[in-house]
Amino acid sequence: MDRRDFIKTTGGLILTVGSGTYAFRILSATGVSVSDTDNPLIGKKWGMVIDLTKCRPDCTDCLTACRTENNVSFHGDKRWDNHWIRKVKIEGEVGHTKVEKMVPLLCNHCDNPPCAQVCPVKATYKRDDGIVIVDHHRCIGCRYCMIACPYNARQFNFKNDEDWPNEERPKRSHGVAEACNLCAHRLDVGQMPACVEACQKCGANAILVGDLNDPVSEINRITSTLSVKRIREDLGTEPKVYYLGL
Amino acid sequence: MKINIGNNKTAVFVAIPILIILILILYGVISNVVAIGSEPPQVLLERPDSKYDKCVRDTEYMRFHHWELLREIRENVVRYGKRGEEDINKCKECHTSRVNFCDQCHNAVSMSPDCFGCHNYP
Ligand code: SF4
Repeated sequence: MDRRDFIKTTGGLILTVGSGTYAFRILSATGVSVSDTDNPLIGKKWGMVIDLTKCRPDCTDCLTACRTENNVSFHGDKRWDNHWIRKVKIEGEVGHTKVEKMVPLLCNHCDNPPCAQVCPVKATYKRDDGIVIVDHHRCIGCRYCMIACPYNARQFNFKNDEDWPNEERPKRSHGVAEACNLCAHRLDVGQMPACVEACQKCGANAILVGDLNDPVSEINRITSTLSVKRIREDLGTEPKVYYLGL
Repeated sequence: MKINIGNNKTAVFVAIPILIILILILYGVISNVVAIGSEPPQVLLERPDSKYDKCVRDTEYMRFHHWELLREIRENVVRYGKRGEEDINKCKECHTSRVNFCDQCHNAVSMSPDCFGCHNYP
């Protein structure tokens, strides 16, 4: 082997081995870093059904429960108040009679969430169980998600709230966007979200949260047999909050 | 060989800022070297008849890497929903006071992490 051949072979060898390892590292690094068997979230798909025929128009128990559970900032001034869940009055006409409905609105945990698509730092993302959640550690407060969300479900923390009703849970400091997280911390340990519990306690029992992937779950029975509606289905965001009697 | 750096005035304008920067850098280095042997900040390790007899990691690891552990826990909880035994809320069961524990070292090294803006630690 002369000098020229030697350089060619060694160079080729180094290139192959080097690029091979590099490619392997890149390929194995894609996707989640926790392996699928290790990830407790895979396989679930949380959804919610709100039964407007049972929901009482003047009841605000779920709103209060949400606020105390998640330390949502509330100053009594609508410029700075945040609502993870709020009630909106909808007026319309059926035939010649006017109808009025109070509809609880919250983050729809879209299957195709525009808020997560626009987030420049991947602070908003869809968890593997379908919950759309904000990593407030990472949020830079750019408010793109508030513009992207067609449901106006996102709010911004303009001010720090001094109150701390639930000290076990964090609150948000000034300068991050937030929305309902379907009480992910409660679902993870097998409890129902705070609004669901409050709704059961007041006797209306209008909110139901369950696993849409589970074929025998109550929520699956309702969404597949009764006439449920989602808000603005035409947008293609695939919301996972279903309304009965909207 | 003679290097021409212009007249004397230019030389002064160049030399003085360089000198100031050098002094600042040296000050940083020297003050740190001097501080090596000094007393570490006194941290109160409270252990009120707790149910745990030791920390989640050994002291040496916690002293120099606790933020890495916290970051790991945070990633597991926020991204993957794995809420296990290790939890930032559990720290305060033994280390009951932030002023006597966290703040002692953080103040000594002029760190101001913003954990406590959102997480409750009495
Ligand atoms: S409702 Fe709005 S905040 Fe919730 S997932 Fe959809 S786009 Fe995002």
